[in-house]
Amino acid sequence: MIPVVRDLYKRLLLVGRAYPAGLDHVRERAKREFLERRDLTSEADIRKAVGYGRYMLREMEGVIQLKKYRTLKARGYDGPARP
Amino acid sequence: MRKVLVGVKRVVDYAVRVRVSADKSGVELANTKMSMNPFCEIAVEEAIRLKEKGAAEEVVAVSIGPKQAQETLRSALAMGCDRAIHVQTDIRSDQGLNPLAIAQLLEKVVEKESPDLVIVGKQSIDGDHATTAPMLAELLGWSQATFAARLDVAADGASAEVERETDAGTEVVKLPLPAVISADLRLNTPRYPKLPNIMKAKKKPLEALEAADLGVDLAPTLVVTGVAPPPDRAAGVTVESVDDLVDKLKNEAAVI
Repeated sequence: MIPVVRDLYKRLLLVGRAYPAGLDHVRERAKREFLERRDLTSEADIRKAVGYGRYMLREMEGVIQLKKYRTLKARGYDGPARP
Repeated sequence: MRKVLVGVKRVVDYAVRVRVSADKSGVELANTKMSMNPFCEIAVEEAIRLKEKGAAEEVVAVSIGPKQAQETLRSALAMGCDRAIHVQTDIRSDQGLNPLAIAQLLEKVVEKESPDLVIVGKQSIDGDHATTAPMLAELLGWSQATFAARLDVAADGASAEVERETDAGTEVVKLPLPAVISADLRLNTPRYPKLPNIMKAKKKPLEALEAADLGVDLAPTLVVTGVAPPPDRAAGVTVESVDDLVDKLKNEAAVI
């Protein structure tokens, strides 16, 4: 496997640990997407696929950050009044 | 401003549904997911941003707790801190180790490190005391700005302007450095550490100290007498008609 691709997969699993839907869901989905693209050979195609994967990674990080913020806000942790 | 000290705490992960232990003495910690206190993440993020802006040269993370607190410190290092200090103690940080002892231990670390600014989270989600930052400021004789929603350090590094969250809105205060700041939810959005940074963090220096060696009385001043889960929600009641509903709202629930 190309190092960039392996690095992307590892990053997806790392972020998947904190993802609300769970690591299993992320791993299943990531594996499926990677296996669908296993036959890509041209550098342009691979770069595009890795770019897509990195975009999904940023989206996942955003979801995690948003969920954390919203949960804390809903629990009353925004502002000085202690819950 | 040269050095920023950030306090971080390893707590039960915010998303975990905690369970009370069988003997009702505390929360069940075995096999529960632990991570950095959300407000501590916000504090670390703010310190890193100060370094990136050029307002600070070095960011040091400190944590008080058992051996596993070093994992939390590695996360802080992965976010961008330069060094970490682990104050080792096996006293439970959500019960036995009280905010006063924590503040006194942090005071010793401050004496050792001489930072220009101390940033901590406003409260931890397991203790919810929100007293460590004010106590530390008092012990040090420093200014404090709690519930910070915005932090600006002056160009000469001698003062800072902080917008504080209050019950009635926000208040802007100006305070001389060195100072203690406690981070509130809206201060910033913490970054997610990248894989290369996590790898780099393993090589950054982490110093371990023994809490018992720092000359602080660690005996609890507050004692937890009992822990109980919240009462189960009562079952709902079905009503027959709108009049019945209005009657119940008026008389039983007393909301109209």
